[in-house]
Amino acid sequence: MGKLGVVFQREYLERVRSKWFLLGTLLGPLFFLLIFVAPQLMGGRSASSENVAHILVLDATGSRMGARVADALREGYPTSPAPMVEKTSDSELPLAQDRAALLVQHSAIVGFLVLDSSTVAGRMATYSGRNATSMRDVEVIRNVVRQQVLSARMERAGIDPQQVAAFSKLRLEMRTQKIGDKGREKGSGTGAMLFGYAVAMLLYMMIVIYGQTIMRGVTEEKTTRVAEVVVSSVKTDVLLAGKVLGVGLVAITQVVAWIVLSLATMYYVLPIIQQSLGTPEQMLAARAAAQGADASSMVAGIPSISLGAAFALFCFFVLGFVLYASLFAAVGAMVNSQEDIQQAATPVMLLLVSSAIFMPPIMANPGGTLARTMSLIPFSAPILMPLRMTLVPVPWWEVTGSIVGVMLACVAAIWLSARIYRVGLLMYGKKPSLAELVRWVKYAR
Amino acid sequence: MANLVALHHYQQERRATWIVSRVRRPRFSPRTRSMSDLALDIRNVSKQYAEHVAVNDLSLAVPRGSVYGLLGPNGAGKTTTIRMVLDIIVPDSGTITLLGEPHRTSGMTDRIGYLPEERGLYKKMQVRRVLRFLAQLKGVPAKVADQRIGEWLERLELKTAEKDWGLSKIDELSRGMQQKVQFIGTLVHDPDLVILDEPFSGLDPINAQSLKDSIVELKSRGKTVIFSTHMMDNAERLCDSVCIIARGKKVLDGAVEAVRTRHSGRTVALAVAGEWRDTVLPVLADRSLVSRVDDQNRHFEIEVAAGADPQLLLHRVIETGAEIQRFELVLPSLHQIFLETVGARGVEEGMSGHG
Repeated sequence: MGKLGVVFQREYLERVRSKWFLLGTLLGPLFFLLIFVAPQLMGGRSASSENVAHILVLDATGSRMGARVADALREGYPTSPAPMVEKTSDSELPLAQDRAALLVQHSAIVGFLVLDSSTVAGRMATYSGRNATSMRDVEVIRNVVRQQVLSARMERAGIDPQQVAAFSKLRLEMRTQKIGDKGREKGSGTGAMLFGYAVAMLLYMMIVIYGQTIMRGVTEEKTTRVAEVVVSSVKTDVLLAGKVLGVGLVAITQVVAWIVLSLATMYYVLPIIQQSLGTPEQMLAARAAAQGADASSMVAGIPSISLGAAFALFCFFVLGFVLYASLFAAVGAMVNSQEDIQQAATPVMLLLVSSAIFMPPIMANPGGTLARTMSLIPFSAPILMPLRMTLVPVPWWEVTGSIVGVMLACVAAIWLSARIYRVGLLMYGKKPSLAELVRWVKYAR
Repeated sequence: MANLVALHHYQQERRATWIVSRVRRPRFSPRTRSMSDLALDIRNVSKQYAEHVAVNDLSLAVPRGSVYGLLGPNGAGKTTTIRMVLDIIVPDSGTITLLGEPHRTSGMTDRIGYLPEERGLYKKMQVRRVLRFLAQLKGVPAKVADQRIGEWLERLELKTAEKDWGLSKIDELSRGMQQKVQFIGTLVHDPDLVILDEPFSGLDPINAQSLKDSIVELKSRGKTVIFSTHMMDNAERLCDSVCIIARGKKVLDGAVEAVRTRHSGRTVALAVAGEWRDTVLPVLADRSLVSRVDDQNRHFEIEVAAGADPQLLLHRVIETGAEIQRFELVLPSLHQIFLETVGARGVEEGMSGHG
C-alpha cells in the first residue's frame, strides 16, 4: 500500500469508526423527514390557526360588506375567535383606526381590516395587525375579501344569492406534472421541485460539513504538532490528497447510507404515519394544506432521472467537494488554533453560502438568466447546476461547460491550496496577512 | 521512556528477541553500506527566508554509527537544517547526502526516524492505531508493524498484565506515557538514522536518563543518532562528534575530544577554600590576565586572556594568600567552548523562534 493509501485509510477509518458518524448516519433520514414533512403538517395546522380571524373589521363602505367578510371568515375558520364588525364612515375612519390600533396594542384583537369604497371598487383593502407579516394569514384574509367583493358584485348584477354561494364555495386543487425532453415525466411538478431542493441542499450540506471536517482535521494536525512527524514521512501534497479523498469517501458513504435508510423509511415507515394521521381533525389540517404536496405525493413524486444526469450529479458532487475541501484545507493550515478557524474560513463560507442564498430565486425561475449565470460560475455551479437540472431540462453543452469550469477551478484551487498547505502546516506564530499568503504561494518549494 | 533505567537489564535480555524480530529490507545490503561511511553529508547548504538567512553555507559530516550533536542557541538554524535533511523543506543551494545516496532519493525518509522538537499525536486515536499509521507511513507492512508495536509496548511497560494502554486513546495517557509512544513512533520502523530535535526538552530526570540509555543502545546496534540540543552537558557526555552552529553558520565541528583539545591550554580550573573567595576575585577581574570567568561559587572555570601566561595567573593568586585547593590546566567543557565561540550575542540574537 502506498503512502497515499495509508493516509487515505486513516482518514476514512478514523471518521467512519467514530460514534458521531454512526449517530449522524442513523438520525440523518429522520432529520430529512422532519425537514420535508414537518413544515407541511405544521403549515396545515397554522392555516386553521386560532387567531387568523380574530380581527376587527372596520366597515366604511356603507353596505353590508363588513358583515359578509366577517361571516365568511367565521365560517372558514371555525376554530378562531370570530371577527367583530364596526360600522363607520369615511370621516370617522381615522379615529376608528386609532382605536383599533390601541386594541391591537393591548392584544384584545390580532389586527383590523379596513374596508372602504375602494374595496367595493375592487381595488384595495387595508389590513394592519400583529400578524401582518404572516404571508399565509394575509393571503387568507385577502382571499376572503376578494371572494366577498366578487359575490357582492354578482348579487348586484341580479344573480341569486343561493347561486352565488354555490359558485363561491369553490376550492380548487392544482395538480402539476413536469414535462421534460422526453415528454411527460412520472411524478408531480412539486415532487420534482422538492427533489431538486433536496439534492441541492444535500450537496450544500455535505460540502459544508465535510469541508469543515477537513479544515478542523488539518488544524488539529497543526496544533498538536503531529503534522511535523507525518510530513517527515510523506509529501504534503500526498497528505492533502489522501485527506480530501478519505473524507470525501466518508461523505459518499454517509449519503449512500442516508439514501438507503430514507428509501426504507419512505416505504415502510411513512405509510404507518399516514395511517395514524387519518383521524378527522387531522384530515381538516390536510385539507387546508392541500396546496402543498402531501406525504404520499412526495413518495410517488420523486422524478426518474436518467443515467447521464445521475452521472453529472455525481461529478458535481465530487468536483464541488474537492474544490471546497482543498480551500478549507488551506484555511486549516493557515490558522494556529481552533478558535481562529471560523474567522479565517469566512471567505470560503461566503462563497458557499452565496450559492445557498440563490437557491430560492432559482427554484422560482430555473430557466432565467440568474439561474443560467449562477449555474455556470464554478463556485456556485456544484450546487446550483444540479438544482437546475432537476427542475428543468438543461442543454448538455451547458452542463458540460459547467463541469469543465468547475474542473478548472478545482485545478486552480488545488494548486493554490497545496502551496499554502505546504508552508502553513509547519509555520507557527500569528495568522498570515494577505501579503504573507501571497509570499507563501510564491516561494513554496 | 520512563523507567527505562530500571528496565535496562530486562532490555538486555530482550534485545536478542528484538533483533531477531527485525525485518531486514534488501536495500540495506552491505554493498550499499560500503558506498559511504558517512550517514549524513551536508555540503554548502543554504536556506533563505524572506526576512533572514536561516542556514548559511553549512557543511557537516556525520560518520555512520556515531552519536552526533547539533549544538546552537535557539534560532541558530538547527531545526531548519534537520527539516532540510528530512526533505520537508528544500535548500536553496548545496547538496545533502544521506546513507550514501542523495537525500531526495525515493524511500530515503523511510530509513530515518525523526522526533521533532514540537511533539504531538492524534489525541482521539487509539495508541496502537497511531503507531501502526506511523509505521505504515514509513513503509512497514501492517502485520509486521503490529508485531513490533506489541513488543515495544511491552518493553516500555505500556502493556502490562493489568492494563494494555495500547488500546487506550492518546489523550487518556499521561504526558510521560505519550512521550514513550512518540518515541516508539520514531523507532518502530527500525531506522538506520535517528534524528532527535531537542529530545531532552521537557523531560524529567528519569525520562532524560532513559533517553540517554536509549541513544547509547541505538549506537551499540550500529545506528546513527543525530540530536540537536542546547544542553551542553548532555552533548559532552553523549556525543562522539558535535557541530556548533550559530546564526545559520557553522562555528566549529569535529570529534568532541578533538574540539576540546583544540581549545585547551587556555582554561584553568581554580578552587579556593570558601573564606578566600572574595580575596581572589580582584585578580580574576584583571582583563589583561583573564578574558572570562565562569563563577560557579566554590569553583571557577577561567579562560586565560590571549597572550597571558597561566603561570602568571597562578603567581597572582598565590600572592593574595588564598588557600588554593585546586589549580589545573584543563580541557574546556563544551559549555565553555560554546560560550567562547558563540558568545552571549549569538545566544540573544537567536531568541526568535525555531532554529
